[in-house]
Amino acid sequence: MALSIAATEAGQSAGEWSFRAEGVTKIYGKTLRANDAISLSVRPGEVYGLLGPNGAGKTTLVKQVIGLLKPTEGQIKLGPFDLVADPDAARQLCCYLPQAPMPIDSFRVKEAIELTGRIRGGGRAEVRRRAGELIEALDIGGWADTMGQRLSGGIRRLAGFSMVTVWPGRVVILDEPANDVDPLRRRLLWDQIRLLGQHGCAVFLVTHNVMEAEKSVDRLAIISAGRLIAEGTPSSLKAGDRGHLRLQLMLVPDAATPALPPWVRQHVRAGHNLITTIDEAGAASGIRWAAGLIGRGQAEEYALGATTLEDVYVRLTGHTSADGPGEA
Amino acid sequence: MTRWHLASLRLWIMLLAVVQIMAGAGFVLGIALFFDHIPVTAALFVSTGVPVINLVLVGLILGPQLVAQQKLQQSYDFVRSLPVPQASAAAAWYTVCLLAGLPAVVVSLLIAEARYGFSFSVSPAIAPAVLLTAFTGTMIGYGLGHAVPNPMVTQLVTQLLVFVIFGFTPILFPAWQLPHWLAVVNWWFPFGHMAVIVRAGLTTGLVAGIGSSYLIVAAWGIIGAAASAWALGSRG
Repeated sequence: MALSIAATEAGQSAGEWSFRAEGVTKIYGKTLRANDAISLSVRPGEVYGLLGPNGAGKTTLVKQVIGLLKPTEGQIKLGPFDLVADPDAARQLCCYLPQAPMPIDSFRVKEAIELTGRIRGGGRAEVRRRAGELIEALDIGGWADTMGQRLSGGIRRLAGFSMVTVWPGRVVILDEPANDVDPLRRRLLWDQIRLLGQHGCAVFLVTHNVMEAEKSVDRLAIISAGRLIAEGTPSSLKAGDRGHLRLQLMLVPDAATPALPPWVRQHVRAGHNLITTIDEAGAASGIRWAAGLIGRGQAEEYALGATTLEDVYVRLTGHTSADGPGEA
Repeated sequence: MTRWHLASLRLWIMLLAVVQIMAGAGFVLGIALFFDHIPVTAALFVSTGVPVINLVLVGLILGPQLVAQQKLQQSYDFVRSLPVPQASAAAAWYTVCLLAGLPAVVVSLLIAEARYGFSFSVSPAIAPAVLLTAFTGTMIGYGLGHAVPNPMVTQLVTQLLVFVIFGFTPILFPAWQLPHWLAVVNWWFPFGHMAVIVRAGLTTGLVAGIGSSYLIVAAWGIIGAAASAWALGSRG
């Protein structure tokens, strides 16, 4: 696929196009620190996850990257460009898929994709070819000439993704790109996201979906209350949980959280789910405890397995990825 | 960006055209129903005021409502993230508003000539008058849409503007028919002056003081453009 990158003409090699945020702080009013000294860097080709509960400050950070907000302190740089001093460059070099629905009610899908590509500076023929490739790759050809107002949420989402990536900048920011997308096309979407990385874009993936992020990102940052509280590869972040297991109980509806044995290392309640972490050596005790709860009618089922990134996320933020604050 | 704006209005561009023409024809024909025999001067004032309404309706009223809708639906950030210079985006929207108003202007004037039996003395001055009136209407609306942070306030203000413009500004009638204090207040606002400069391009000897009217309309256009530039350039 001939994927063009908007800023290639600047004569920079891909390696010089690293994204760096250094000490980015955004204070609303006098006291509300939406971002607090966030520093991170992303190399071209990396898919970088930004995880965190609602209100953690992810969107504020993204809006500073794309030039819609100005940091109170700190620097944001992309290759040779200072994105804080030059918001026009930020808009040229970064493209953004927001979580909200795209405003394409009165656009045909293919038209919306091509128009956005042209607005982003692509030539007519290249944009048309790339739009066709995306439409085919995401299997949305059946809707290419359908008006946006008639699209289902998932197809609309894929059309939005295509609009944003038809002529991508150096940085592609995707906020919950897979929302509403069916499982089959979700796989096609993740393939395209990986391809963006392979073609030299730095991809920011903003999501609550920890499980999906674990499979898709090269590195990730967890943001909570405006601060970057953890960063690394999924494996490195899970390293602290080696030797532990995840014991998840589905409690009967409206049941109170049962008394926890002393060997439960941590727990969080999310709806009917009670998610606990136990030592590997205590697996048998865990199973007996869970079976006892089921026997007494307090739980309906349980699952025992390896700890996941979700457990790291819960431990660090006190939230589940379903985003209800955990009752930890 | 002009194509983007045109496409975004596609679903209701026909309805918009019909509403524009009906609004124009409605005023031109409807006012005559108040009189047994409408005086020629009154008919001229109405007929030469209606183009102003046609020219500002989209930019001043519909434009800010569309921006407010984008803010409510949270798609505003996507539109703002597109790499389009502010001046180009504003110029594109101005072009669309002008194109949306011009056909209704022509139809309204033709209906007026047919209904009242007079002919307009169209002079070259009509060109700058139309361009400036549409520009100022569009820029005030643009500023209102982008500079007012709360979209609900924007929607309320535009509805208030419709009420005020149709009822209490000297667009369809001469300013001297207003109470003195209201005429004085109106002098500082652009809407009556828009009618003066458009009227000057369509008639001979009906209006005076064209220079100050041009200045005031232009000043409001600049204020609207500056408010838009400030709001779009502001990074909170």
